[in-house]
Order: sequence, then C-alpha cells, then structure tokens
Amino acid sequence: MSVGDENPFGELLQDYVLECLPLAEQVADTFVELERRWRAGDPADELLGSLPGRLHTVKGNSAMMGLTPAQETAHALEDACGLLRRSSERRTDPAAALLITGGGLLVDLVRQASPELDPGPAARYVERVRQWMQGEGPPAADTQSERRRTDRRGGGGADKTDSVVRVDFRRLDALLEVLGEGLIQHSALAEAYRRLARRSGACEELDRLDQTILALEKTLKRLESTLMETRLLPIASVFGRFPRMLRDTAEAEGKRVRLLQSGGETPLDKAVLDRLSEPLLHLVTNAIVHGMEPPDARSLAGKPEEGTIRLDAAPHAGRVVIRVADDGRGLDEKAIRKKAEALGQELRDDEVVPLRSLIFLPGLSTAEQVSRLAGRGVGLDVVAGAIHALGGTIDVETEPGKGTAFTLSLPVTLAIIRSLIVEIDHERFALPMAHVAETVRAEPDAIREINHRGVAQWRGDLIHVADGGAVLGTAAADRAPRRFYVVMAAGGKRQALLVDRLVGHQDIVVKGLDPALGRPDVVSGTTILGDGRVACILDSVRILEGGRRAG
Amino acid sequence: MPVEERQIRAPLLGFADAMEARAVADTASAPGPELHLLTFVLEREEFGVPVTQVREVIRVSDITRVPQAPAHVRGVANLRGRILAVVELRSRLGLPPADLTPRSRVVVVEVRGRVLGLLVDAVRQVTKVPEASVVPAPEEVISADVDYLRGVARWQSRLIILLDLEKALLPTE
Repeated sequence: MSVGDENPFGELLQDYVLECLPLAEQVADTFVELERRWRAGDPADELLGSLPGRLHTVKGNSAMMGLTPAQETAHALEDACGLLRRSSERRTDPAAALLITGGGLLVDLVRQASPELDPGPAARYVERVRQWMQGEGPPAADTQSERRRTDRRGGGGADKTDSVVRVDFRRLDALLEVLGEGLIQHSALAEAYRRLARRSGACEELDRLDQTILALEKTLKRLESTLMETRLLPIASVFGRFPRMLRDTAEAEGKRVRLLQSGGETPLDKAVLDRLSEPLLHLVTNAIVHGMEPPDARSLAGKPEEGTIRLDAAPHAGRVVIRVADDGRGLDEKAIRKKAEALGQELRDDEVVPLRSLIFLPGLSTAEQVSRLAGRGVGLDVVAGAIHALGGTIDVETEPGKGTAFTLSLPVTLAIIRSLIVEIDHERFALPMAHVAETVRAEPDAIREINHRGVAQWRGDLIHVADGGAVLGTAAADRAPRRFYVVMAAGGKRQALLVDRLVGHQDIVVKGLDPALGRPDVVSGTTILGDGRVACILDSVRILEGGRRAG
Repeated sequence: MPVEERQIRAPLLGFADAMEARAVADTASAPGPELHLLTFVLEREEFGVPVTQVREVIRVSDITRVPQAPAHVRGVANLRGRILAVVELRSRLGLPPADLTPRSRVVVVEVRGRVLGLLVDAVRQVTKVPEASVVPAPEEVISADVDYLRGVARWQSRLIILLDLEKALLPTE
C-alpha cells in the first residue's frame, strides 16, 4: 500500500479505521484483563506477549497516515509492554491503570482518525509513560531495536497474503436491495404463472415455465444465503466493547465486577449488531449499577466480593439467544409492583401479572439513587423497545439475593424475513413467521366472549382472540365475520388475531417506515409484495403486548 | 444535481419553457423575475409549488394505508422499489379527503432532503409567473396554524395559491 499524501482524508483513512480500531480495542481490552489477572496473582505472560504485535501494527499504520498522536501513543504502549514483559515485578496496579488509560486514549485517537486532533493528550500521556519507565531504568537498547523495526514496517506495507477483501457495508446493502427486487420479481412471475395456468390449462410450455420459475427461486435462495453470510459478523464485535466499559463503570460505582463471556463467535447480521450494542450496553451497565451490591455488602451476604456478570450468546432455532446475567441482589419485586401500581397498572392478582410484564413499563425505575451512568430517563422500556424493533423478545428472571438474568432472542438477520401474508379489511399485511405458531379456521362457535374479550381454545388452553381490524384501527362496521385466526407467540405470550384471508407465505425484504408515518405501535416496517403493492409488516411482539388493551 | 433527478426534471422544464413561450406570445412581454411553478388542483382551487422542489409526477393506483399513521398521511406507495409516503394534502389543508379518480396524481417532492408524495386531485401545468404578481394572502384567511400559504399569484385572470412545502409538510421541525 503506498501512502497518498495528496489524499490523506479519503478512503485510506476509512481503511485505516477498519483495520486498526479492532486492534486498538483488543489491546485496550487486554489491558483490563491484565489488571484482573495481576490482581489475582497471575503474571499473564502469554497475554502480555500478544500485545506488541498489535500495537506495532497500529503504530505502523498510524505513522503511514501521518496520525502522529496515535502513532506515539501506540509506541509508548509498546515500550511499556516491552518493559513489563521483561520485569514481572513491575506488573502492579498503577502500571495496569497506566496501560488502561493509554488503551482508551489509543481507541479514541484511532476512531477519530483525524490529522487535526489536539496533540496535547497524547503528548502528555507519552510523557507519563516515559517517567514511569524511568522509575526503574528501562533498557534503552530494546527501544531502539523496536524503532528500527517500525521504520522497516512503515516503509514496507501490507504483508498479508490471504484472500480477504474488505468491502464497504453499504455495498452489501445495495446488493441486498437488488436481491430484494429479484425476489419481488420472482413472486410476480409465480403469480402470473398461476393465473395463466388457471386460464389455459396444462400444456408443455407452461410446465417448462413452471420449472424455470422454480429454478429461479432456488438460484435466488442461494444468492440470498450467500449474501446473508457475507453480512454476518461475530457477536464478539459488540461484546468486545464491554470489558473496558465495565471496568470504568465498576470503578466509578465502587464495585468489583468481572465479566465472563461465551459464544462470542455466534454470527449476527451487521445491521442487527449495530442496533444491538446500545441496549446490551444498557443492560450491562444496569447490572453493575443496580444489580451488583458493593463489595462489603456482598461479603456480608456470604458471596465473593467480586461480582460476576455473564454475557452468553448462542444460536438457537434459527435465532440468536443472548443472556445477560449477574449474581447481584436480584430485582426488588415488591418495589416494582408498588411502582407499577403507582403508574396505574392494575394488579389485582400477583399471579396473573408476571414481573416481566411490569419491569418493561415506561417510567418504571426502582433505583433509589439515580446514578450518573445508568441514570433515569433511559429505562428498561427503552431497551425492550429497541429489542422489539429488531423483531426480538426480552425476558427476565430474578431471584432475591441470587441475581438477575435478561434473556434476549433475536433474529439472525433483519433484511429478509419469512412472513405470512394475511388480509384484514381489504389490506394485506405481513406477519413474521418467527412469531406465528399456527393458523386456524375460525369456526362460528369457536370464539366465545369473556369480559367482552374474545377467547378460544387452543391446544388445551384458553387464549385471547383479538380482532385484526380492532387492533389495527381499520375495522369496518358492516363486515362479514372473519374466517381465520393466526395464533402468535413470543416472549412467553400468546394471542390470536382474527383475519379475513390467509394469502400465503413469502420471503419479504424489510423496508423502513418513513418518519412522516409517525410511530405506529403495531407496524414495524413495510415491504413490497409480488404484485407490486406495498404491505405493512405487523409488529407481532407489540401486538402481543398491547393485546390486553387493544382486544 | 444528480443525474437521475436531472433526467426527471428536464421534461418538466422543457414543458415549462414551451408553456412560457406560449405565454410570452400571448402577452407580448412578461418582465421582471419569475417564479417557476407546478400547479395542481385541490377541490376547485389552483395551488402552486416551486418546480425546483418537484422530482416527478406519478399516477398511482394503489396507496396502502398504514394503521395508526397521522391523519394527513394517505399511506405508502411503491415508487420503483422505493417506499414513498403519500401525504393527503387535502386534509393537511383542511379539506375533506376524496376518493382516487383517474385524474388523481401524486406529486413527488423533495423537501430538505426528504422525498414525499403529495396526493392531489389533478395536475394542471408547469408555468412561470412574474414575482410581481404575487400578493400576500388576505389577512382574514390567515391564522396561526396556516403559515404554509406563501401568497397568491394573480396572473392572467387566475389565482394560484403558493404553498410553502417546508411549512406544510414538516410542521413540527
């Protein structure tokens, strides 16, 4: 790669961030882990050994881009790590703190990737490292050799010989749009074929047309799955941001917390990941600030002073399940019920209204002290909203004194979802198959009324049957009885929706909602059907939640 | 200007020039700066919006209603694979909504980077009117929540009500 000084702000900088930011983040996370290990008496030699190579790459690339503050910070960190590798007696808390500060700084500098940054913070940090190193006389020779290697690397360039190509994610989005059009055209073809077949009866040409349309569908499916695979990233790219954040938050709160992760390799569509990081961050912050007891309270309760937060991800039945669990004090169910009651939620019977339907209510926060970090304002309702907007569900389990666990279930991709197309009051709607349990013909006597709400027997249980038109606000007064109901299930809730017609299954390409449309509760997006008409995608999760009111 | 937009706008402008040539021939002279308008009909009134904000005019047969959308939104339509939100300009201007007719059109406009469709009863023409012909709307018909009337052009025995699309379509921003 030759450096174009004449174009220092173009794509090269973008490439630089793409390559170096993950490295810088790994380095910064490793520093946090080092501190933990050192405190536990583990010298963590192999962890230390993983650092210089990464720092070296960041340093070299920063130098190539003329980003001096990042280059010098990486260099100082490299030197400090070199010293720490040689002398284990210097692996102390202050040293770890110094590294962690530098790691954060480096991540910031790389992320901003601007030649116009104030060089002050980096210069001051480099000076701090220099003084720290002089505290016990760093062997200067080694630093020299490090520097020589940098020069070589700086002039040389990329020596990677693998077959990986970096692609701007927007290009993948553009490809997906094209694929989407292909899918729509395919369903238009299939529809036209069906009509033609009905009109003219069987013949050889029609058979061939049918074969071709089937083959086209297979081709498009293959294209879809290949494209989807290219959009997948390991969830570690989001998890990776947590260790440093967790350490800073725990420090600020006076708590001792360690983070255990598993399933970081679980793949998710980048579009999902991008919108997942905020809500996850919020759950982890909540766990530290509200879930964890201070160290003394923990030891009084007979628990280890250091609390544990587990972040686990795993693929499950075509979706991804993520669990955020802490071993803290658990949710205060009484306080939550009291607060919910104050918010006007009817709580006639504790058994009937489970905790999980209360904790995600807007305005519900039982924390007595409002913390700076997990302050008021953004509550679990916002987290739940963000997860629902992704077509996901969120559930909570808690046990007093033992801890709290949030379980999220998310679709692997947002872009193309298998849906059931239904008709309600002459409009077509798409219902994501992920939340459709069954479709049932509505026999005249099958639906009874209890307390003015429709109920039906389903698999031995009574479930609420809501009228589609009433839920959507489209109900016409003089209509024929609806002929089908669709049983929807998500997050432990079940409900049926009465519809006029079941049109069929279709893979739909999800398109957004224009801001001009406001924020409809029951619609999560739009899509284009085979006949070119636009249909709204129903938000099954929101309908399941609102069903108590809307039915 | 992006190529696509130019391609769409060019015929409009060509049409406007032709209309203008006729107008000039009719009146011999139209001095002073001019407003370049696309005019359309709602109820019985003629409205005008700047041609520079118009991307194209389309015929739509299917507008899908969106549950719980604001009252002045008619729904969404398929604009060559893009989802276009269609504003019911009638209800936005305090007129009763009307059924689609063969003359109904959607005027696709771009306002502050956002593309929206305006459902109108019919499109009349692309025309130029002298700025000097524009007078403020009579105070009696203006109220606080009707700030989207820019004025009225009196031109060749016509009254063209000039709409401020930013105020009419992005009222809360």
